[in-house]
Amino acid sequence: MTPNAAHDPQDPSGRRIVAPGGPRLAFSFDDARLEACEGETIAAALLAAGRPVLRTTERRSEPRGLFCNMGVCFECLVEVDGHANLRACQTVVRAGMRVRTQRGFGYRDAAAELGE
Amino acid sequence: MIRRKVVIVGAGPAGMSAALVLAQAGARPTVLDENPRVGGQIFRQPPPGSPAAAARPKDASARHGAELLRRFEAARARIELLNEAYVWGVFPERRLAIGNQGGWQVVQPEHLVLATGAYEYTPPFPGWTLPGVMTPGGAQSLVKTWNVRPGKSVVVAGTGPFLLVVARQLHAAGVAVEAVVELARRSEFLRHAPRLLSAPGLLFEGGGYLRELKAAGIPVLWGHVVFAAGGEGRLQHVELAPCDAAGTPDRERTRRLEVDTLAIGYGFVPRVELAQLAGCELEFQDELGGWIPRKDEAGESSVSGVWVAGDGGGVSGSVVAELEGELAGLAIAGRLGLLDAATLAREKEQRLARLAPLRRFRAALDAVYRVRPGLARLAEPDTLVCRCEELTCSEVDPAIGFGGHDFRTLKVMTRLGMGPCQARMCWPAMMRRIADRTEKSCAEVGPSRFRPPVRPTTVGDLVQLIPFEDHSDAPAGAGR
Repeated sequence: MTPNAAHDPQDPSGRRIVAPGGPRLAFSFDDARLEACEGETIAAALLAAGRPVLRTTERRSEPRGLFCNMGVCFECLVEVDGHANLRACQTVVRAGMRVRTQRGFGYRDAAAELGE
Repeated sequence: MIRRKVVIVGAGPAGMSAALVLAQAGARPTVLDENPRVGGQIFRQPPPGSPAAAARPKDASARHGAELLRRFEAARARIELLNEAYVWGVFPERRLAIGNQGGWQVVQPEHLVLATGAYEYTPPFPGWTLPGVMTPGGAQSLVKTWNVRPGKSVVVAGTGPFLLVVARQLHAAGVAVEAVVELARRSEFLRHAPRLLSAPGLLFEGGGYLRELKAAGIPVLWGHVVFAAGGEGRLQHVELAPCDAAGTPDRERTRRLEVDTLAIGYGFVPRVELAQLAGCELEFQDELGGWIPRKDEAGESSVSGVWVAGDGGGVSGSVVAELEGELAGLAIAGRLGLLDAATLAREKEQRLARLAPLRRFRAALDAVYRVRPGLARLAEPDTLVCRCEELTCSEVDPAIGFGGHDFRTLKVMTRLGMGPCQARMCWPAMMRRIADRTEKSCAEVGPSRFRPPVRPTTVGDLVQLIPFEDHSDAPAGAGR
C-alpha cells in the first residue's frame, strides 16, 4: 500500500482532475504498489501517484522526470519487467507490471532483475 | 519486401488529411503512427472510457479535430492503419524500415508522405533538467489526455500563442497558474497589425484566451524571460525578469516564484530526421522552426516521390497542416492517375487560396514570437546543454573554441548528440549558441545528422518480420 492510500485510495496525491471511473489495475514502482487507470502511460500513472522522479543519470546521478511527454527527449526512461530504457511517456501500464527507477544506463539493475 | 502505393508517416492533421484525400480518390493509403490512436499531438485522443474525454475544453479547434477524427474513422475501411508503428530508417528508393512490437519489415511505397510534425524548443538555462520542468505541450497532454495535473502550481513560460492555450487548460484543470511569462513584447503586435488581420478568426481566438486569463486573475508578463529554475531534487522555484528586445534579462529586477511545475517552450522544431535520411535537401528557415526540407507548393521535396506536409515541413499550425496534407494527397492522386488534370487544378487552387492569408498571419506571429539571441546566453558554465550525455557549457564551449562549429565535428570532440535523443533536444539550441559565439549564421553552422536507426532499436526488435498483407501488387483475391 502507498503511504497516502488511507485518505483516498482512488487518488492518493490529489492529482486526478476528474474522478477516474473506469477499470483500475495494480502495478509496482520500486517497492511501492500503485494503481493506474486502464490505457494510461507509466508517466501519467506515476505523476498521478505523486512520483515525478523517473530516473537518475549515469554521470552525475541527477534526478530526471517527464520532459517532452511525446517520446522525443528520452528523459523519462524507466525499467520495466527487467528491461531498461523504456520511455515512461510512451509505454502503457499493464496489470502486474514491475516498473523501476532507472539508474544510469540501467543495465546493471535490469540484469539483476532478470536473474531473479 | 512489401510494396505499397502510398505510405504516410504520422497521423496528425497533415497525415490524416492526406490519407482522406487519397482514400477518397481510391488509392488505399497506408498510414503509420507511433501512438496507439490517431490525432497527432494536437488532437491526441485519451484512452477509451477515460474521464479526460469529457473534461476537455470544447473550443473551435477541439470541435474541428473531433470532426477530422470522425471523417477519418468513417474512411477507415479504405485506409491501411498501423498504430504503434514507427519508421527507424529510410534507405534508397524510399525503402522504409518500419518497426512495431511485433518486429520489423521493409516497406517500399511509390510515394512517401512525411507528416512527422514538430516538437517543442527549449534552450538550456540553469535548472532546466529538474523534475517538474517540462514542455508546455507535455503539461498540456497530461491534462488533456491523461486526466492528471502536472503539479499544484505552475509558471507557463517561453513564447508563442500556444502558451495561452496551455495556461488556460491548466487553470481549468485546477492547477494554480502563477504567471504566463512571455518573451515577446506586446508593443510589437501593433507593428504587425495589418498582416495579423489577414486571419481575423485566429486573432479573435487569441484575444479570447487573453481575456479568459485576465478574468481568472492570471498575469501575462510580456517581455519577460525565465532564466533559472531551482530546487532540491525537484523544481521548487523559478526566477524571471523583464528582458530587452534581444531577450536578455535585467537581473536587477528579478522575481522569484515558488512553484512545483514550469512549462517552458519557445516554439517548435520540425522533425526532419526521415526527410534527411531520404536524401531531401534541407534549408534553414528561422521563422518556420529551423531546418526544413525544400519543397514545392504541393509539398514534393527535392527527392521525387517524397512529400512533406504539416509542421514537419515548417511549423505553421494545424489549420495549415491540414491544407498541406490535402495538397500533397491531391498531387499524389494526380500522379497515380486517380484524378483528372482539371479537377486536380481546381482543388489545388482552392487550397492554395485558403493558405495564402494563413501564411501571412503566421509570418506576422513568427515576427512577434521570434526566438531571440539572448536565449542562447542563458546557460551558465555548469548548465547541461546535452541532457543525454550530461555535457555542460564548460565542457562544450572549449570545443567550439577549438573549431567545433558544425554538428559532426562537435559530436566527435565532445559526444554531444550521441545519446538516445540523437541531438533532437541539444542541437537546435547548440546551433544557435555556436552561431552566437562564432558570428556565423545558423545556415552556416548546419543541421544535425541523423543516422538509422533514428530511435533506439535492440537486436530483439530485428528478429521477427511483421506479417503484412501483400495486397498491393497481387491480383485481387491472391494471398500474401
